[in-house]
Amino acid sequence: MKFLAALTRIRHMLRKEFIQTLRDPRTRFLLIGPPLIQMLVFGYAATLDVKNVTLAVLDLDNTQESRELVGHFSGSRYFHLQKYVERREDLREGIDRGGFLVALEIDSGFARRLRNGQGATVQVLVDCANSNTGLVALGYLNQIGAQFARDYQLDLAQRVAPQIAFSMPRVDLETRPWFNEGLESRWYFVPAVIGNVTMIMVMMLTAFAVVREREIGTLEQIMVTPIRRWEFIVGKTVPFFLIGCFDAGIIALVGTLWFEVPFRGELGVLALGLVVFIFAALGIGLLLSTISSTQQQAMITSMFFIMPMITLSGFATPIPSMPPFFQKLTFINPMRYIMVVLRSVYLKGVGLDILWPQIAALAAFAVVLLGFSVLRFHKSLE
Amino acid sequence: MSANEISVAVENLTKRFGSFVAVNNVSFEAHRGEIFGFLGPNGAGKSTTIRILCGLLTPTSGKARVAGIDVAAEPEAVRQQIGYMSQKFSLYNDLKVIENLRFFAGLYNVPSADLSGRLEWALRMAGLEGRDQSYTRELAVGWKQRLALGCAVLHRPPIVFLDEPTSGVDPISRRQFWELIQEMVAEGITVFVTTHYMDEAEYCNRLVLIDRGRIVAMGTPTELKTRSMRGQILLVDCEPLGPALEALQHAPGVLDAAVFGNSLHAVVADPAAAIPQIKQAMAAQGLRLSRIEPIPPSLEDVFVGLTAGREIKPGGTA
Amino acid sequence: MNLRRVLAMARKEVIQIRRDPRSLMVIFAMPIFQLFIFGYGVNLDIKHIPLCVYDRDGTQTSQDLLKQFQATEYFDITQVVESYRDLVRNIDHGTCRVAVVVPPRFTEHLNSDGKASAQALLDASDSNTANIGMGYALGIALAYAARVQVDWQQRQGLPPSVPVVTFQSRTWFNEDLESMANIVPGVVALVMAVVGAFLTSLTIAREWERGTMEQLISTPVSKLEIEIGKLVPYFFIGITDTALCAWAAVRWFDVPFRGSWTVMFGCSVLFLIVVLSLGYLISVVAKSQLAASQAALLTTFLPAFLLSGFIFPIDQMPTVVQWITRVLPARYYVAILRNVFLKGTPVRLMTGDVTALALIAAISITLATRAFQKRLG
Repeated sequence: MKFLAALTRIRHMLRKEFIQTLRDPRTRFLLIGPPLIQMLVFGYAATLDVKNVTLAVLDLDNTQESRELVGHFSGSRYFHLQKYVERREDLREGIDRGGFLVALEIDSGFARRLRNGQGATVQVLVDCANSNTGLVALGYLNQIGAQFARDYQLDLAQRVAPQIAFSMPRVDLETRPWFNEGLESRWYFVPAVIGNVTMIMVMMLTAFAVVREREIGTLEQIMVTPIRRWEFIVGKTVPFFLIGCFDAGIIALVGTLWFEVPFRGELGVLALGLVVFIFAALGIGLLLSTISSTQQQAMITSMFFIMPMITLSGFATPIPSMPPFFQKLTFINPMRYIMVVLRSVYLKGVGLDILWPQIAALAAFAVVLLGFSVLRFHKSLE
Repeated sequence: MSANEISVAVENLTKRFGSFVAVNNVSFEAHRGEIFGFLGPNGAGKSTTIRILCGLLTPTSGKARVAGIDVAAEPEAVRQQIGYMSQKFSLYNDLKVIENLRFFAGLYNVPSADLSGRLEWALRMAGLEGRDQSYTRELAVGWKQRLALGCAVLHRPPIVFLDEPTSGVDPISRRQFWELIQEMVAEGITVFVTTHYMDEAEYCNRLVLIDRGRIVAMGTPTELKTRSMRGQILLVDCEPLGPALEALQHAPGVLDAAVFGNSLHAVVADPAAAIPQIKQAMAAQGLRLSRIEPIPPSLEDVFVGLTAGREIKPGGTA
Repeated sequence: MNLRRVLAMARKEVIQIRRDPRSLMVIFAMPIFQLFIFGYGVNLDIKHIPLCVYDRDGTQTSQDLLKQFQATEYFDITQVVESYRDLVRNIDHGTCRVAVVVPPRFTEHLNSDGKASAQALLDASDSNTANIGMGYALGIALAYAARVQVDWQQRQGLPPSVPVVTFQSRTWFNEDLESMANIVPGVVALVMAVVGAFLTSLTIAREWERGTMEQLISTPVSKLEIEIGKLVPYFFIGITDTALCAWAAVRWFDVPFRGSWTVMFGCSVLFLIVVLSLGYLISVVAKSQLAASQAALLTTFLPAFLLSGFIFPIDQMPTVVQWITRVLPARYYVAILRNVFLKGTPVRLMTGDVTALALIAAISITLATRAFQKRLG
């Protein structure tokens, strides 16, 4: 009997929440617009691809060999030969201005030294203001340099001493990228963005919803009714749970259909992971609402936590590369776990047998956070 | 300035919100130094009119001049000449009393030589001496309203607009508030006030009764009670009240009947003829009539009579 | 324009800011906090990549090759596996990101045919780490291959071949490839965008929601006075925050500063103007604080984080997106900050960016001023 009464009260709270949220066209837009926009922007902008690195060349040697070397660069898909320059100052200024990322300076003794067997040196300037790009560009440089050396040596040996050339030992390393043969960074980011956007939306909407009532004064009115703490909380959070699921679903679809990221796992596992994650996000939002008395506070506090949560989740930068202290810190970040789930389900196609630790962790977060918020939520006004 | 100078002049003022006409062809004048009341039920168009006069809304058509300035054309010029107290309390709750006062003093450019004097005056007038360091949100409603009034007149404006200044305030505080208004008027300030409390209307020098955007009656309280009252009022004490009201409304000679406290008021055209008829009607229903006598009309009677009359004759003018 | 009224507005705003200690703390603590998080957490120097090795040859030579991977800080050998299934399981679990496999009879082939190849399997679900890891692995393999060759030549009594081409690379602007130096200027921009726009975006919307706006606009204060009075306190907060961040960057994080402080503060002022005006505009247009905050998130935080070139390089984005970044103040500000901190570029080479920023500042403040109307309807 009591439970029935509770359900009725919850039902009415839900109805009020839905009316408030869905009636105003502005709010309706807020439910779909921002997540979609964030998804699209993240999807297109978030890229660590390093392709078509702009290259400038100063060739003071101008021999067949030097042109051969340049040819190796311009022929590779990694580099894009932007321009030839005539003077060293142009190279410097070009890099300063940001006109190109890499500059090759081949001095006039290049071919001569090669033919003498002395080995030639080439000066390279790499703009490392963005250190990631610089790092990758250096890697490419080495690969192409090695390729050139190999081709040159083989050519030379074949002309000079064919038999020896044939028996000189060669060690190769075949590289096989798994799950993402084309090394598309978009495939890396898009599944992860689902986690970001969902967390931001659910956390902020929930926090705002409760704090708004406090700020406007309607909270007082609700609290004098027989409604219990947990009923109020359920009434407040269920709509945002549904909205969170809806949003997550939509942006997951965008990820698969629009950005064409392959989905190799099971939908059930993805759904389970997201659902538990949304509960955790609800918990965080509620917790925030209990420590904020105005919407401004709610917003600022959300931002304060969202930025490190996203940064330290393995979203853009891999966790193994972080300092050990920060690596340990990521264990208390629910986003860390959903990142693993999302990427594993989309790209690796793994199932529950591998992902159960992550899902269990998320469930634990959800329980602790929601439980704690309920306890903190004082029925009397402060 | 002559005593009869016009402070507020409104001519054929109309304001539409989409298809809804909030203010419908309203014209009136308020003179310097009078308490001009704008009376009517909720939604009648009182707040809309005041907001137009303060330059907060633009009229759809018609003219409004405040202190000689055309409000629609030069809303900013008007602001230094007026003080405004909005219907909903709109001072800063998170500021202290003195901080709110200082803030508005700054906005109204109260000269620094005057400043401390005016602040003291405002605190005294609002009865908040010694409480200047209290947070505004801690004050009871009555004090908040007085503080808002204080903030509105720091700069000694010649005209003050008060939009339902006493709503939500207890009767004693209401009385005191009106005393404040009367003090201001004694200094030559024009007070333009809206209210839906009919008893407060008695304090006004002149009144406009407004209903659903139209002026229903205009004049001094006495004029309204004598001229605008159609018929006379009979006080009827009859038990039980519910059935008595029904019987009264259907009794011959009775134009309208309403409950007033524990008694009934009947609007009749001819009291002499009506009294025996009513007695008869009550007796026929088996109702106990203990008292029936003519009484002078109150403004509420006037208003109810006017608006009721309009309902009975839908096509006619008020 | 009346200075007295502006001061009255500014003073009220300051009182209200002061009375909200939570917001205050966040305003001043957040920049430093974010600097720490980004500075230490966002490490684009990929090192210590978890590696597992699968030696199917089991000879001195194969062990030799695998030792090369152990000796470097680029990789951390986390697993030595004995079967292919174990290897797959490790990759699936994510305990290693790269697996090096030496096939059976590796040494045999090397000695008889003179050719042998090992395999590097990469978990490319993190494409960037995979890309960089691939580069590292190839580099290690190359060095090993060269050594094998030299050994062979020595045994044959041939003169050791000299490496054909060496690249002497000078990494410009960021010699140690410290990603922190790269990130920190961007964090300054991000924090200012967030603090500036978020705070101001609520200021007008809040007065509407609470009802104090009506009283405010019934007074003689002009809309310009309201705007200036409200924004000036946030301006000072913003400049203080910027100075704080710059100081922390240089003193604590050892980020070099090679440009001119005048340029830096001048451009910071411009960026602040943009960000504050934008926040104000949002505050005027959005009727509720919720809408204002979402709009602020979308138009300031997101662009500053994603589209300014601060983490994700602009030239790698699709062309359409690159065009979009041209109207974003954050893009220019981040470029200017990078120039001033890392590159030490002479001012004349930055005129394009500075002009763009100034133009955007002028436009935003004009829009913000025009948007606010002292009217209810």
